[in-house]
Amino acid sequence: MRVLLRSIILIVMAVAALLLLIFGPSSEQRPPAGREHDLVIHYWEKWVGAEGRAMQGIVDDFNNSVGLQKHIYVEYLSISNIDQKTIVATAGGVPPDIAGLWDGTFVQFTALDALQPLDDLAAAYGITEGYYKPVYWNACHYKGHLYALISTPASVALIYNKKMFQENAAALRAYQCDPDRAPRTIEEFNRYADALNTYIVGPDGKKHLDRAGYIPMEPASNWYVTELPFWFGGDEWDPVNRRFTLTDPRVVQTYDWVQSFSYKLGEDAVGEFSGAQGGFNTPQNAFMMGNVAMEMQGPWMANFIHQQNAKMDHDWAAAPFPSAVPGLENVTYCPWDGLMIPRGCKHRQEAFEFIAYVNRQAVMEKLCSIHCKNSPLTHVSREFLEHHPNPYIRVFEELASSPNAHTTMQCPIAPEAGADILAMIQGLVAMQKDPQNGKVITPAAALAGIQRRITATWKNYLKQEQRRELAQGGG
Amino acid sequence: MARSNPEARNFLKGIAFLSPWLIGFLVFMLLPIGLSLYYSLCDYSILKPPVWCGVDNYRLLFHDSLFWQVMRNTFYYAGLSLPLGLVATLGAALLLNRRVPGQSIFRTIIFLPSLVPFVASALVWMWIYNQKLGLLNAVIRIFYVPLNALLRLLHLHQHSPIQPPWIVDANWIIPALVLMSIWGMGNQVVIYLAGLQDVPRELYEAADLDGANAFHRMWHVTLPMISPVIFFNLVTTMIWVLQVYDVPFIMSAGTGGPNHASYLMTMYLYDNGFFYLKMGYASAIAWIQLMIILAMTGLAFWTSRNWVHYQGK
Repeated sequence: MRVLLRSIILIVMAVAALLLLIFGPSSEQRPPAGREHDLVIHYWEKWVGAEGRAMQGIVDDFNNSVGLQKHIYVEYLSISNIDQKTIVATAGGVPPDIAGLWDGTFVQFTALDALQPLDDLAAAYGITEGYYKPVYWNACHYKGHLYALISTPASVALIYNKKMFQENAAALRAYQCDPDRAPRTIEEFNRYADALNTYIVGPDGKKHLDRAGYIPMEPASNWYVTELPFWFGGDEWDPVNRRFTLTDPRVVQTYDWVQSFSYKLGEDAVGEFSGAQGGFNTPQNAFMMGNVAMEMQGPWMANFIHQQNAKMDHDWAAAPFPSAVPGLENVTYCPWDGLMIPRGCKHRQEAFEFIAYVNRQAVMEKLCSIHCKNSPLTHVSREFLEHHPNPYIRVFEELASSPNAHTTMQCPIAPEAGADILAMIQGLVAMQKDPQNGKVITPAAALAGIQRRITATWKNYLKQEQRRELAQGGG
Repeated sequence: MARSNPEARNFLKGIAFLSPWLIGFLVFMLLPIGLSLYYSLCDYSILKPPVWCGVDNYRLLFHDSLFWQVMRNTFYYAGLSLPLGLVATLGAALLLNRRVPGQSIFRTIIFLPSLVPFVASALVWMWIYNQKLGLLNAVIRIFYVPLNALLRLLHLHQHSPIQPPWIVDANWIIPALVLMSIWGMGNQVVIYLAGLQDVPRELYEAADLDGANAFHRMWHVTLPMISPVIFFNLVTTMIWVLQVYDVPFIMSAGTGGPNHASYLMTMYLYDNGFFYLKMGYASAIAWIQLMIILAMTGLAFWTSRNWVHYQGK
């Protein structure tokens, strides 16, 4: 009897396991009723929340229009750590059909053949050089080929608290600053920042920074601190000769300027003040709290200010971040999110159908408007500019169209180089001392050290490339 | 044949029942471990086939200044966290083992933090450590004078002594991480408590008859009797502190900052593997980390012969 019972239990368990394998969770998504025979395109995207809902809306629009006609059904999946998961899925031979990746890893992925070139498809759909603003068109290329199209782009500008400018008009005028406008040169910017700093005396009898005009490493606005050399006429990477240029005098000048804030305000003051500020999308954001008067941010700031502190909606303004080089105007950095087709995608044509749909002017403007970003396209409609949630969208549009607009370093080891440069900046701002002589490490010395380290990494990358080519040739 | 040999039949049955675990172990543990050793001798980016490069990754690591900094940070963290953690948890267990009113409440309070997920507790501690607004600095301000003297002794007085910049300063971040790691060591306390309750009462009675005081009882009875438990906690904590990842990752916003001061070995390994896509290099780091942990564990086992006492031996 016991043997029989045991056998029955074992058989039941085996059948259950088999049924689970056959009918259980599967990677295959099924379109809704009535569209069972449509081809499913898997689209992985990083966005969640309002940004995710906006893209889901675009996907729904596609599924109900072009998708309906051409029997394509796009399945949108919000996914965390999208870079790593896309790479692992691509290496495993089961990539998504479309991946919504970042600019920061674009060249790294392309250099590793993780993405498919899109030149032929883009040309077939009329998406050519003239259709895009040059900075974004160039950014989507690597070694002469197109590997991505933009989903949403941005340009960064000076965001300033104009109400605070008015409230401190006398202090600003004492520093020969005009409270009715943004600073136009770095020299003027420094004076605005100095005029708006306020201090309180703590229980230890020391002066503590209470409000800052500007702080380069303030946690809610330090995203682009590694791109600051553009405003000083420099670049950390020479794209023509494919080498790092961290010891270029203009780059050194940039980080001298960054470190000057620690000298002016005191290293403790900078650390203490920055540490007390909250993250970007929090009510403790230093700019939204009125703890910082000026910062470098993207057009989305309007949305976040509205969400976190709507009372501030009319108290801020945007202007080009001032350049340190006379005559160098409308300098900006243009980060972007892109749609890419990973290697091994089985439905390249159908995947591009969706990418091309997103790149239609009306669709792109709808998405960029909800995300509160500028458009990557050359032509921008009046409706887009007039109904955009950011009242200063024209500033960002003008900056993105500028010949002085720059984008992410086009180097396969950019993520590693960026991390090293950021760590170096943290050391400069904290006025880290040289253990040999006890003196504060200067930007020139720190940059020379990073240049040596990153150049060695770069040379090793090139050596590995050669070794790989030899192995492929030999094989 | 099988019928004639019931032992073999039972063995096969055992293997059959073990097979889900065995297959899992072979496919998801042993094979990746073996492959990682091979990859550590290759250029491997996941997306392209590995290309043999011999010991190049190990040679590069030897010349990688950041790797040495990461090693220093890891040993600094482990060197502070391991002894402090062992002493603090043992101390807490000894106190919690005393029969006092509300004993179970105190035990619950000590154990509770270990139930909080690391990410959640790291986020809470980021605010506790906030230099200007944090709870810890608010408490420290009350004890300004003696603390100021202590910090001068420790040569940490260059910063505002009443408001240490816990996680924004390269000198303070590792001590801050260590302090937080001790807060979450409730599991070790529970293991100590179990060991303490296993110490035979008659040994204490005999010690009392010999005129032993509280310190003698602890030194000559309690510690030798729970030495296997101390040894267990020493080995497991050592492995854990040499591999720590999540808390420094959250507290430094993934950068290992400020200025790489909290960049630990596992973080460097992960970044190389999954952000820089240098899987061969990351595998070499993993093997060096494994060798270090094996060596440290081996050392602990070797010394254990002199200080770990098992009952009945």
